[in-house]
Amino acid sequence: MSIKKPIWQQPWGYAESFIISFGVLCIGFGLELVLPVNQSTLIFPFNLILGASFIILLVLAHVLFRKTKIHAFLSGIPLTISLVSVLSFMVIIMGVLPQIPSHQNGFVQQLGLNRMTSSYPFLLINLFLLIVLGLVSLRKTFPFKLKNWGFVCSHWGLWLVIFTGGLGSGDLRRLRMDIYENKTEWRAYDDNGRYFEMPLAIKLKDFLIDEFNPKLAIVENETGELCEAQKPSMIMIEKDLNCRLQDWQVQVEEFYMTSGRAGDRYYPLSDFGAAPAAKVRVVSPQNDTLQGWISCGSFNRPHESLKLNEAFSLVMTVPEPKRFSSEVTFFTPEGKKQDATLEVNKSVTVNGWKVYQLSYDEKKGPYSDKSILEVVRDPWQPYVYLGIFMMMIGAIYMFWKGRESIND
Amino acid sequence: MIWSNFIFVLLSSSLLWFLALIFYKKELLKRLFIVLGTVCIGAFIAFLWVKLERPPLRTLGETRLWYAFFLPAIGMITYFRWRYNWMLFYSLGLSLVFLVINYIHPENFSKTLMPALQSPWFVPHVVVYIFAYAFLAASSLVAVRGLYQHYSQTLDRKIVRMADNLVYLGFAFLSLGLLFGALWAKEAWGHYWTWDPKETWALITWLGYLIYIHRRYHMPAKLQSSLWILALAFVILLICWFGVNYLPSAQFSVHTYSQTP
Repeated sequence: MSIKKPIWQQPWGYAESFIISFGVLCIGFGLELVLPVNQSTLIFPFNLILGASFIILLVLAHVLFRKTKIHAFLSGIPLTISLVSVLSFMVIIMGVLPQIPSHQNGFVQQLGLNRMTSSYPFLLINLFLLIVLGLVSLRKTFPFKLKNWGFVCSHWGLWLVIFTGGLGSGDLRRLRMDIYENKTEWRAYDDNGRYFEMPLAIKLKDFLIDEFNPKLAIVENETGELCEAQKPSMIMIEKDLNCRLQDWQVQVEEFYMTSGRAGDRYYPLSDFGAAPAAKVRVVSPQNDTLQGWISCGSFNRPHESLKLNEAFSLVMTVPEPKRFSSEVTFFTPEGKKQDATLEVNKSVTVNGWKVYQLSYDEKKGPYSDKSILEVVRDPWQPYVYLGIFMMMIGAIYMFWKGRESIND
Repeated sequence: MIWSNFIFVLLSSSLLWFLALIFYKKELLKRLFIVLGTVCIGAFIAFLWVKLERPPLRTLGETRLWYAFFLPAIGMITYFRWRYNWMLFYSLGLSLVFLVINYIHPENFSKTLMPALQSPWFVPHVVVYIFAYAFLAASSLVAVRGLYQHYSQTLDRKIVRMADNLVYLGFAFLSLGLLFGALWAKEAWGHYWTWDPKETWALITWLGYLIYIHRRYHMPAKLQSSLWILALAFVILLICWFGVNYLPSAQFSVHTYSQTP
């Protein structure tokens, strides 16, 4: 056991690190109370200038002070651990409290705990972390030793991700576009409903949606809530399905994906708004047989359920989408024309903007003539990707080498 | 119903592993029984995959099944490397716990898979996470044993080395899972990281193990605090995995996939 070193005597260790990190956290919360709400959206070229100055200062500090105790402390593990602990503490708060804007003005809102990522303490700790991570990476990189390559990759990778991700967030544009069948749209709107003209126009030729079959479910008559006495509580309807749902034996006698009611039954139909319907025969635990039609309805047709007894009814759920896509044509100001299919998980890049299929008119479901797209421009993306790939290489290195690097 | 066959898997795996425990001194028989018991779970996963017409990686119950499959697999790998019988049977026991939970609370096994999840990133993202969780769970078992040894003054340094190795492997997978998720999110939704509660807790987990790794690197001789950090990190991992759905922040999560009729 070593003799206990008085606090604030060099070299600084864990106690000093934790006090300093905690101090920075308190300063951050203090700023949050005093200063107006931080609306930091550093945009080009200010973020680039700030970032470049930061790098120059960091390198200068490294070159000038590399032999000092303060450099050793700033690039040391105790400070790293304390900063990561404080960061974890803040992220835990984020993980517990919903991160949504609120009009209340309580303790949580004043300290910015409901918008942690844009609060001063979060920014300060991340900045501090960038300095520490930057200094330790510089120290390990110059002079470069081949055995350190895994370390260099993972640490610089993480540094790049935090640095470029943070600085680039101001330049990231995420807008939405509502496009309607056979119409051309060139305006996009942001979260506050402000419209912007885009350097491209999109014409929706066709919106297609593929659905899963609806499911059978039993709900409580009074509350309308799903009865989940046993699993599975919902069963997908198929032709000639004969299954046990909770205490009832259900047989599907007829099923149409699109149908309409006429008189006492449903007929297959492909009208605008035609809804799925099924004829079912249900045998209760008391051996009573019930028969009837159920339908989940659509935006212009009523739904229909089958009352099983005083407490429960059999219903058909609204079909879930299997895939949806938009057949579109892009037009650019240069006069270029490009046909494409937009689908969830399959974006298309046009004129520096990435276009994603986001949603549609969910009320109308398969009859939607509106497609909602997200358009994203993120000029910093390649640098963040570089960081991510460096971290991946670092992770693979770590997997390969295991704990060899620890010497005890 | 697909799930009703599960009881056979549970019974045969428990029986085979119980036989392995009885014959634990006979190397060949033990290994055979353990492998067969694991194969039973693997076969059920394959069966589910075919029946559901999608990778069974979506619900909590399905991921538990994979976990029950990979735990013995990793238990065997560590056994072949370090010859710790206790590690092997710990992992089998833990795997059985997950199988029993799945038997008591089978999930709603539906065929539907929302379009957002129909991506080539889906399987690697989840599989890599399951690997990470299994390694880290094993490391925490080692940590608990290490703490026990520490307080009974019988601490074997080898045990901490083993914990380290498991953490290194688990942390590598955890990082890959996180990074795959970020790339997938960027490609599918336009942003790497949206501070979804599950993402937030995944980050906390990652930071927890990051602290352990740095502490071990810096102070290899101070075992007690490192072991406690490791045990605590696993608590966070469990919150991330099971607990997130019950937190006030979870109502805004895209990772819960709760179904409403």
